[in-house]
Order: sequence, then C-alpha cells, then structure tokens
Amino acid sequence: MFYQSPLRTITLIAALCFLAIYASFGSYFAREIVIEIIILAILAISLDFCAGFGGMVSLCHGAMMGIAAYFYGMMSVKLGWGLTASAGIGLAAAVIFAGCVGWVTARISGIFFIMATLAFGQMAYTIFFRWRWLGGDDGMGGMRRFDLSAWGVNLNDGLIFTFWALGILLLVYILSALLLRSGFGRSLSGIHANEGRMQALGINTATIRTQAMAFSGLMAGLAGILAAQHTFYISPELLVWTLSGEVLLVVILGGIGTLVGPIIGAILLVLMKHSISAYTDYWHIFVGLVLIFAVLSGGRGIFGQGEYWWQKYMRGQHA
Amino acid sequence: MLEVKNLSKDFGGLQIIRDLSLKVEAGERRVILGPNGAGKTTLFHLLAGTLAPSQGEIRFDGAAIGALNAVRRARLGMARSYQKNNLFESLTIRENLMLAASAALGKSGKLFRDPRHDAAVKARIDEIAEQIALTETLDAQVSTAPYGIRRQLEVGIALATKPKLLLMDEPTSGVGPSMIDHFHRLLNQLPRSITLLIIEHDMDLAFDVADRISVLNFGEKLFEGTPTETKGNAMVRSIYLGEREGGEHNA
Repeated sequence: MFYQSPLRTITLIAALCFLAIYASFGSYFAREIVIEIIILAILAISLDFCAGFGGMVSLCHGAMMGIAAYFYGMMSVKLGWGLTASAGIGLAAAVIFAGCVGWVTARISGIFFIMATLAFGQMAYTIFFRWRWLGGDDGMGGMRRFDLSAWGVNLNDGLIFTFWALGILLLVYILSALLLRSGFGRSLSGIHANEGRMQALGINTATIRTQAMAFSGLMAGLAGILAAQHTFYISPELLVWTLSGEVLLVVILGGIGTLVGPIIGAILLVLMKHSISAYTDYWHIFVGLVLIFAVLSGGRGIFGQGEYWWQKYMRGQHA
Repeated sequence: MLEVKNLSKDFGGLQIIRDLSLKVEAGERRVILGPNGAGKTTLFHLLAGTLAPSQGEIRFDGAAIGALNAVRRARLGMARSYQKNNLFESLTIRENLMLAASAALGKSGKLFRDPRHDAAVKARIDEIAEQIALTETLDAQVSTAPYGIRRQLEVGIALATKPKLLLMDEPTSGVGPSMIDHFHRLLNQLPRSITLLIIEHDMDLAFDVADRISVLNFGEKLFEGTPTETKGNAMVRSIYLGEREGGEHNA
C-alpha cells in the first residue's frame, strides 16, 4: 500500500533538483538527455501505478504513449486543430485505449495479462506502421510546442522546455500519489494482494482495474505529447513493444511499487546508456548485468533496496 | 432471512449437495455440522455466489439472489470468513481491516480521499480490533504474524463489514483452547442484528452458541433441531459423533 514517506519525498526532490541542475549547467546534449529521462520516468511512473500497485504488468505502455502522440500529430498537423484541443484529443485517445485494454483484461492476471497487453500494443503498432496518411513506417513530422507566449514563456527555448517537462513529471507524480492514497488506490492495492477477498467484500474489482488502467493511460499519454513536442517528430517506434519492455526494466531497476523508484531507474538507465555507448555499442550487456544484479538481490530495485535498508535501520534505532 | 430450496450441486457425476432445503430466521445462530466431505463448504460457496448451483433457489431478505454474483451478494450484506485464511498477506493488519471497513462504508472507490484519515473508517477499525483482540498488533505485517492472530483477523475482516448475514467456515480450526474460549465470548457478544451461519467442529462451542443445528452428510440434510434435540438424536450420534459416547471432541 502506498505511503508518501519522508524518504520518498526527499528522494523525489533530490532527483528533480539533479535533473534541473544537470540541464541548467549542461550543454544542449545534457538537456536532451534530461528530457529523455523525464519522458521515460513519466512512462515508468505510469507503469508502476498499475504494475507495482495493481499487479497489472502491462507491455502496452509504449502504445498508450504512441497513441497520444499520434492523435496529437494527426489533429494538429493533418487536421489543423488548435494545439490544446489536439493534446486533449491525444490524451483522450490514450485513456480510451488503456481503458479498453483494462476492461477486456479485467478478469485475467499473470502471464495471460502480460500476453494480452502485448497483443493490444502490437495491434496499435501495426495500425500506425501501415497507416500511410500518417506517414506509415516513415513517421510524421511538423508537430509544434504549446504557445505560452501570453504568459511570457517560450517553450521553443531548450532550457525552458526542459523545465516545462520537469513540471509535468512532478504533476504526474503528485497525481499518482494522490490517487494511490485514496480509497480507490487502496482498493487497487487490495486487489493486488487478494482479488478474491476484495470481491467477497463487495468490491467490483473489474471496475477498479479498468479505471486504474485508464489513469495509467492518461499519464502515459502526457509522456507521448511531451515526446511529440520535444522532437517535432513521431514514428511507430514509439509504440513497439520493446519500448514497453524497456519501461518495465526501468521500473524494476528503480524499485517496483515505490513510485519514486521509477524516476531513479530512468535516470540510471539513460545515463548508463549514454556513458557506456561512448565506448561500445553493446551497452545493453551492461544494463542487463545491472538488472540481473538488481533482481537477484531481492528484486526491490535500487531505491527499493535503499528504502528497505533505511526502514531496517530505523527499526533498529527504535528497538 | 435466508431460505434455501431444493439446492443441488454436482461436479461432473459427483453430487456434493443433494436437494438441500434450509430456513434461517433473522438473528438466528445456526450451526452446520457434518463430517468431512459432507458438503458444508460447498454450501457456503453456493450461498456466497462463488459457485453456481446446479439446481435450486436461494432467497436472502425475501429476494431471490440466485442470479447475483459474489460481489452483488456481498453488497446486500452477506459476509464470509474462510476455513483457510484468505487475507491480504502483503499488507498490515490495520490495512486489512481498513479495506473491509472502507468497502462497507462506501469509501472504496473514492478518488483523492484517503480512507486512513476517514473518521468512520478509523472508528470501525478500532471497534473491530478491540472485538478480535488485535488492538496491540494493528501495525504488524500479516505475512509474518502468528497463525492465531491471522485466524482472528480472518473473522475480523468479515465482521468489519457489519453484515446482516455472516457465514463462518470453521472459525476455530487449528487454534488452541484459549482462543476458542475468546472466540466463544466474541460470538456471544455479537448483536442479534447479525444472523450467523457457522460451520464448527468444536462441539462445546457449537452446542452452546447454536439456536438450531443442521446436520449434513453426503450433501443431504440429515437432521435439524435445537442443540438438545441434536444431542439426543441417535442417527446423528452414530453418523457424526461416531462411536465415542458423548462425543465431546470430534476433530
């Protein structure tokens, strides 16, 4: 069950400060890295929300993100809609997709749930891969960032856009935390712990699971719109299942079911990727080794393990 | 309150419940007796809606509930405690009771409001914790708690919903005499607004608590009557209580 402990708050603030400082004092390349981290972290929080707290390990979070990005691109570039309205449509599309996946899979769990979400994600991928009007496998460009000049904010400035993205990451974290500590979120944890007993208590578990997936889709959709606005370009690669797998890796690396762990996982993965790939193309080997280490040492992940040691230490102090 | 008419359940060719009829009045304490394999737990599955009957009718509070699933029946005020502990293992005792209390008080689907800080939920948790004598251990992790405590919690989760009808499947199975005594007192203290249907193997407890006793064997109702009538019935003694005269303890 979720609790926003002081340790989690401190870790969250430290992670956000690190990203802000890294972007502020770094080069253009550093800001690109920070935005890559932020987008991955939002997706990872979104996945931790349903996998870590609801036991729903999804392999279609990339698809949720990609659908939001594509609908944003389609509405704003192809149909000439306003950017805010297009973003709204993009988010709605991601929520509807995630809600449908959640509804259909509400009665299955474990490996079958994973396979079903994989199938849904790959279906979405195939649709955009084949859809020539939206560029098909070439992808599609021409997306624009929000125009906030009325508030004196120019999102086309790299650093300002980085802070904007950082703000969205914080927003997603707060939204997740508030939902997870609500009656709804507690029920979700209850379903994760013992779905049958929740039903015996009169809880419609299918409804809670569907809603959780829809909320997760909303957060993944925010990552998608951010990604589209960041590079001004989208491609079906956003939806492919290996991206969803990478997000799951980030969640496990950082600490599943901790909500702040995924941010740590995203920072580590992206930094490792960029520092190791300077020497070798086989950086995945090193990520794999770290992951194996993380799983073998209790499966709590980097933050999860730290939190475990901290709690143990605190109990020792009281005893 | 609860009326079962001509209920049958078969798995393939095997008939577990045969043409069973029962009538339980509001506020009644009804004990179900029967040897292993008599169909007692299956009967609870049929009543709670986790299994569908092959034939027959179930009425609860005057309404036919045969077509309702387990979730809908729970919402009508039916709760159940299990023969094998069926807890939220990864959570604390307080969290277990909180889930049950929030469900009963309609706080389970609320967005953005933490049931932990809800006055009604808190009051319910404290009340039940006191009833099941777990006030001191509320923040213990269920997965590492001793068996006796887990057994108390099993009943506590069901009680926390303040049901109209409580189905208890061998609440004292596997616990020692002191806890049976405590449980005995707890049952006597429960208000008559709760109707109790109990599967129980502890004879002292069963005969003392019960208003009426139904004896099942091979899925059929063999006998039904007051505790005194049950004790005096020769057929019940031979089939359920076995050869031992008096049959005070039959595990």
